[in-house]
Amino acid sequence: MSPRRSTSGGLIDRTRTVRFTFDGENLSGHAGDTLASALLANGVSLMGRSFKYHRPRGVFSAGVDEPNALVTLLRGGVREPNIPATQIEIYDGLRAESQNRFPSLAWDLGAVNQLGGRLIGAGFYYKTFMGPVIGPLKGTRFWMMCEHFIRRAAGLGRADYEADPSRYERVNAFCDVLVVGGGIAGLMAAEAAAKAGKRVILAEQEPVTGGFARWSGETNEGKQAHEWASNLTARLASLDNVRLLTRTAVWGYYDGNTLAALERVHDHVARTPKGHPRQRHWTIRATDVVLATGALERPIVFPGNDRPGVMLAGAARRYAAEFGILPGNRTIFFTNNDSAYEAAATIKRAGGHVAAIVDVRARISSAASELATAAGVSPLTGHAIVGTKCGKTLSRVFVQAYDAASGTLSGDARPLECDSLAVSGGWQPVLHLASQAGAKPVWDEEKQAFLPPEPTQRWAGAGAFLGTFGTVDALGSGRDAGLKCAGKRPSRGKLPEIAPEPLDLTPAPVLEIRGKGKAFVDFQHDVIADDVRLAHREGFVSVEHLKRYTTLGMATDQGKTSNVPGLAIMAAARGITIPEAGTTRFRPPYSPVAIGAMAAERYGDLKPERYTPIHDWHVDHGAEMTPAGLWHRPLVYAAAGETVEQAYIREAAAVRRSVGIVDVSTLGKIAVKGPDAATFLDRVYTNTFSTLKVGKARYGLMLREDGIAFDDGTTWRLGETDFLMTTTTANAGAVMQHLEYCLDILWPELKVHLTSVTDQWAGAAIAGPKARAVLERCVTGTRVDNETLPFMGIVHGEIEGAPVMICRLSFSGELAYEVYCAAGYGTLIWEALMEAGEPFDITPYGMEALGALRIEKGHVTGAEIDGRTTARDLYLDWMLSKKKPFIGSGLMDRPALIDKNRLRLVGVISLDGQKLGGGAHLVERGTPDEPGESIGHVTAFCYSPALQKYIGLALVRGGKARHGTRAYLSDPLRKRFGQVEIVSHHLFDPDGERMHG
Amino acid sequence: MLIDCPHCGPRDLAEFSYQGDATRTRPDLASTDTKAWLDYVYHRPNPAGRHREFWQHAGGCRAHLVVERDTLTHEIFTVSFARKTSGGDAA
Amino acid sequence: MVERASPLGSDFRPGSYGDFVEGTGVTILEALKGSIVEASAWPGEEKTLAENLSAICRLKLSASPGSGAANREGTCAFNIGPGRFIVSGQGEALAGVIIAAIDESVGTVTDLSHGRAVFAVEGPKVEWVLAKLFALDFSLSAFPVHTGRATAHHDLFVQIQRRGEKRFELYVFRSFARAFAKTLRRASEDVGYAIR
Repeated sequence: MSPRRSTSGGLIDRTRTVRFTFDGENLSGHAGDTLASALLANGVSLMGRSFKYHRPRGVFSAGVDEPNALVTLLRGGVREPNIPATQIEIYDGLRAESQNRFPSLAWDLGAVNQLGGRLIGAGFYYKTFMGPVIGPLKGTRFWMMCEHFIRRAAGLGRADYEADPSRYERVNAFCDVLVVGGGIAGLMAAEAAAKAGKRVILAEQEPVTGGFARWSGETNEGKQAHEWASNLTARLASLDNVRLLTRTAVWGYYDGNTLAALERVHDHVARTPKGHPRQRHWTIRATDVVLATGALERPIVFPGNDRPGVMLAGAARRYAAEFGILPGNRTIFFTNNDSAYEAAATIKRAGGHVAAIVDVRARISSAASELATAAGVSPLTGHAIVGTKCGKTLSRVFVQAYDAASGTLSGDARPLECDSLAVSGGWQPVLHLASQAGAKPVWDEEKQAFLPPEPTQRWAGAGAFLGTFGTVDALGSGRDAGLKCAGKRPSRGKLPEIAPEPLDLTPAPVLEIRGKGKAFVDFQHDVIADDVRLAHREGFVSVEHLKRYTTLGMATDQGKTSNVPGLAIMAAARGITIPEAGTTRFRPPYSPVAIGAMAAERYGDLKPERYTPIHDWHVDHGAEMTPAGLWHRPLVYAAAGETVEQAYIREAAAVRRSVGIVDVSTLGKIAVKGPDAATFLDRVYTNTFSTLKVGKARYGLMLREDGIAFDDGTTWRLGETDFLMTTTTANAGAVMQHLEYCLDILWPELKVHLTSVTDQWAGAAIAGPKARAVLERCVTGTRVDNETLPFMGIVHGEIEGAPVMICRLSFSGELAYEVYCAAGYGTLIWEALMEAGEPFDITPYGMEALGALRIEKGHVTGAEIDGRTTARDLYLDWMLSKKKPFIGSGLMDRPALIDKNRLRLVGVISLDGQKLGGGAHLVERGTPDEPGESIGHVTAFCYSPALQKYIGLALVRGGKARHGTRAYLSDPLRKRFGQVEIVSHHLFDPDGERMHG
Repeated sequence: MLIDCPHCGPRDLAEFSYQGDATRTRPDLASTDTKAWLDYVYHRPNPAGRHREFWQHAGGCRAHLVVERDTLTHEIFTVSFARKTSGGDAA
Repeated sequence: MVERASPLGSDFRPGSYGDFVEGTGVTILEALKGSIVEASAWPGEEKTLAENLSAICRLKLSASPGSGAANREGTCAFNIGPGRFIVSGQGEALAGVIIAAIDESVGTVTDLSHGRAVFAVEGPKVEWVLAKLFALDFSLSAFPVHTGRATAHHDLFVQIQRRGEKRFELYVFRSFARAFAKTLRRASEDVGYAIR
């Protein structure tokens, strides 16, 4: 069916055809293919354009390390950019697009950037976007426009503007042993730990476990290695104490052996089943971790090493063995170690043609020679590739004699024909997670690789992660790691027998061949070897500076292929060794994670809604609900055709005229109980509560330790040692924490218990001249007359047979009562009060009317107790007891807090008949365009039905001293400028006659 | 990060809320020594290294804890109840 | 006796939801509790309080962290903090009985019968569903039957008691009942769930 697929072999299911599109073209592959393998099978070698230079790129790897073949997936009308084609399992109907090209992948305008390569080297952005410091373009808009285009030319895939409709979820898991990596070592570790009775989670990022066993071609206990691996996997899956997670990348290793993983639950199928997540974010807390994360192959840096058709030798081997795909018709290998010989032999076995093996080493092992013979070539030792030539795909490479010891080239470069080049620069253990866990990798000169450090958390390494690359080592170290995590000694038991004998993969210390032309270190970010040297010349020599200056290793692949070569080049430029140059610390995530997976269940619902017991009644009676913190409260109960303003004016006027009812269930309520409760309250409130009589309530004010006002509310003494404290709705949680802090840390000797009872009680405030009449019609078991229930008195009774607690207190300035009952009776009581109020046209009112009534009275809320004002600023000094110390009394008299010119509470009245605005500033003089200096700001405003004016509260410099003066409201955002009069904040009924009536 | 709450056992950091420096001493409630109050409220040594902090297990047992930890490595050395007399019958 | 209103809305209706084709992973119901109280001991009185509660409610409650107990009448209790317990039962009178019986020298008792909503979640997938919401180890060995945990799901405080191998009761603030029901239902969709 395809030019590149071998006729047999591989682990794909050739009986099942899968159809997909790439850049709109209909293509097909087989079940088991990745998008990368399926594209290769179809002869597609050009898969993307590079980041900066728009160079044509093909697939470079076969796994998570892919830097080039990034595509955009189109799923359900949503674009998901920058997904490595090597990580996408194809399914029927999959649609993928190439990226960073215009107008098409093959013919890309941006490729002109290649010509300007010298201008857009390392540090280009830093230098360019400073803009010209002299000349006609300095600081102009023209320059900013250029910047827009330059930035657009560089980059990866385009993110979507549409919301991501996918579903994600989060799950927590606990285990004794988490095994990261389901290769040979990981499987052995999981088995050993599971047999010892441990709870094991095994996470493998690929769809199938086995790792290297899937394409090694080895036999294991007489079976093909991949069969051996799948048998072992099946045995593990059958155990109750093992959880197998495939398609799951462990991407973060955090403190306390907490690891983060991403499971791609349904990315491999066209449609996510109903109720299931597309991806699942795992937080795994493991007592012990086995890092069996394997090793990644490094490229060799040489001019033209990024052409389509160039790939890693191990990737070529995997495509041939696992997917039955040949890298080309004529493949050349370029290597500094023996592993490429195995790859060459595999290609040959799969039916490919190996044109040459170019090896920088002068001598090779006999095992390598035998493999070269099997591959049908005699290796070109002591040579290096110094250039490539490329039309649409690779057409030839240039080789030259090379002395690995001195790094010098000699003789003439000669061309070799080929259409594919497989490169191996040796293998680097995947240490990302170990590095994230806090330890610094250690350079091994012999192995020419960073090796795992001593663990700083509870993990054990296994397999290629340790820098030992043979299957025998993987089996042994895997089993030992599993045993170690189970608290057992290494086993001497027989290991499965492996054939053939593994090779020694120690590479020659050659990672760069210097020559003419761009030699790529970081393919994804288009960082070339000369950029690293430029950074060196310009003084950015530390690896951390190198990384930031050149962006080396900062792309989505996190430098999986570029890290070690980049370091080697910098070390060479500085004339020091690689360990002296150092290494950067890896940061999570190991591989990209969708933001949606992190948000998971919080998508769309950032905060839970909190409803009062009377919520449904409000909604059923036309209330427009508004959020107040987490709570949802009625804003207004607008009648048909009424605006919000008309509605609240009507509601507030009804309260002053007759009677209104408002849901106050949201007030914070804390039960304060115990023999020392009164003493405790005396310390946390500025005023005294120990003198409060049982059956009475008192308004209280709390300060912070620094003397600033914190919260206010009434506290009711229900018994000698039993108080019910109310707090503002917004501060309920903070007050509770503050009180708990005081009891736990400041005064542990006090015998006081606190319990949040906010949700236990439903509360309705009845306010207005007819409030008492309403209660008289429905309350039984107690009288509610002035004598029985005086101002700040509390009585207990019943309404409709449900117990109620009634306190006479007022926020509106009217004769008012708060009626509390158990939450489950909330609606019952509310409806009874509505019915009892019918003769008086009782009016339910919302937050807007509540606000208007309190502004008329000058009662403060969170808008005035804003974390900056003191009790004096709010003219609440009468509440500051002089007879006892309390929290905040130590610092409230500091000079700056008693300064006469502080912002203090006043009332303001609009003189032009126009609305005021919250947050608008007040100025003494000026014009709308050039207002003068601010003397304060408006904290709350409304239309006052009682005064028939627009009024507000404000915090103004000097406060009371400005009563009777005029100022201007300056509100440029709302385009409002108008004159106001500053007055007392007691705007209405200053003597409180209505309340006591 | 996990904090090993002496009541609840190891729990995720998200359940805890930071409650300030645990090395300060609050002046006596009745103290009028402004400097002592200013020291208590504002002065923080902010050490790079070992430090004692208050954390409340707000999303758990609500107890305040003294957490001794390294601000550089996040290593936690000890966790104990801030209130010395806390604890169930195990205490 | 006056009837109490449920904090759950009309959309919390009996039925099968989510991907239930292959069976019901969990069943969710509002566990109706006539009484819920929080009882707190003074320092040093934890054991006495646990003994008193055991005697009043006919339970075998100890004062150790996370301990819990339940009896055949459906009365259950569990520890949620140092010296602090949640006690709940079917009858509406129980709260008053406990409040009256605990001496002020031992500790205090606060009625929360209306202040908490209790969800019972049970079924073969209950541990899986709850693991999505809480960073707790729900395995039977780490979270034995009758024991309790105080934890949180983002802004929601939740107190959990294991009532059976595959059954948990979750106590949330009443005002969050609907929000929590929504969260719980969403988390149960992939395994299929029923509301009873």
